[in-house]
Amino acid sequence: MTSFLKKWWRLIAAVALMFAVAQLFLRPPPALQSIGPLRGYAAIVFRPVYATVDFLHRGMASLWGGYVALTGVARENEELRREVAALRETIRSTREDLFENKRLKELLGFSETLERRTVGARVVGHDVSPWFQGLFIDVGGEAGVEPGMAVVTPGGGVGRIHKVYRGLSEVILLTDGRFAADVTIERSRVRAIAEGTGGGGVCSLKYVSPTQDVVAGDRVLFSGFDGSMPKGILLGTVVSAQRPREGLFQHIRVVSAVNFLAVEEVLVVLTRPTIPFRADKL
Amino acid sequence: MRLVLVLLAASFAGTSLSVWWLSGFVPWFLLPDVSFLAIVFAGLFIPGPLGLLAAVPAALFRELTVSAPPWSLFLSSLSLYFLAREVSLRLFIRAESFILSTTAVLLLLESVSMVILSLLIGSRAFSALWVLKEGIRVAWTSLIAVPLFMDLSGRWQRVTE
Repeated sequence: MTSFLKKWWRLIAAVALMFAVAQLFLRPPPALQSIGPLRGYAAIVFRPVYATVDFLHRGMASLWGGYVALTGVARENEELRREVAALRETIRSTREDLFENKRLKELLGFSETLERRTVGARVVGHDVSPWFQGLFIDVGGEAGVEPGMAVVTPGGGVGRIHKVYRGLSEVILLTDGRFAADVTIERSRVRAIAEGTGGGGVCSLKYVSPTQDVVAGDRVLFSGFDGSMPKGILLGTVVSAQRPREGLFQHIRVVSAVNFLAVEEVLVVLTRPTIPFRADKL
Repeated sequence: MRLVLVLLAASFAGTSLSVWWLSGFVPWFLLPDVSFLAIVFAGLFIPGPLGLLAAVPAALFRELTVSAPPWSLFLSSLSLYFLAREVSLRLFIRAESFILSTTAVLLLLESVSMVILSLLIGSRAFSALWVLKEGIRVAWTSLIAVPLFMDLSGRWQRVTE
């Protein structure tokens, strides 16, 4: 027995760890979690990295847009090129500032209409794993962010906070397979459960009877009944509603209102979900 | 120790580059899982506690950058390390084809486990298109592993000699 264990302990450890992982998936922590000390310190390791990368990214974008793209003009006239480069840089910088200003104003105005305490955040990265849909924002536990809180933009809902660190939070997108929320069709007030499909910016609506009035083009809003996402926030637009010949419910697909790859700033609604947050069905 | 630090730095830089910089521009199936490669390399080529030491930070990076349930990616990464260690001790042959197949099999094993767990909790159905993309990711990451592992293992051998 001892020799067997000595020989195969690595394989046994690997299998035991996989069982532990399965437990974490199947029996997630039932309620709100705080930041563990190890997670907090681990996030500190990454914080300067994403801050630096964010800075470099902006610098590179500025360099590319302002200078590299103007190399063709340089061939025609050196003097003119410098002038054009300077002017374009000014215009680009001004336009960039204007757009950012507009976005932030919208976010601020939207924040006031939400009637809840919110905190603004910048998107600093995306989950690149094939199994989950998420993004990272630059606010964390120090700003009062907790798992389960809603993340929104003026354009619509984004998702919910999943893990929180110091200065960093992970957001599960509403297209992630683990996302579910109570929603209403704006036009007909039909209620349904929206679930993520795992990608493509698409959600599906569950438990809608074939007799209920849902058509392509309908806007879908969060109902707020489940106490997780704020009421009235746009989820997206119905792109297809099929009534199967056999089956109890319609097959409804909804395209999210927010383009998750393009979103730069978001708001975290600092209200604890009324239903305890579970990591498997967010 | 130098190789461990190189591995740590490469894993850190690669993960940061993928998650904080390239994500949003490059589709996920073209981004190699650098931390995964660091863990597998540590399992295959670095013996003893030093290998585990090299694998732990990479496992932590994965835990921090993947939206899986808390601590699940950390533990599954350690499981991956022990599996790679076992492969290294029982079967491993230092050849390009073997590195390619070992990395591909380990990637597939991890992916299949995650898919099964996701299906068990009823979170999503995986489409044929997703399977195709995942196939590309597995092939791409395994292909990168071959020159990377050959080079790093050569350096490691020179260091130990």
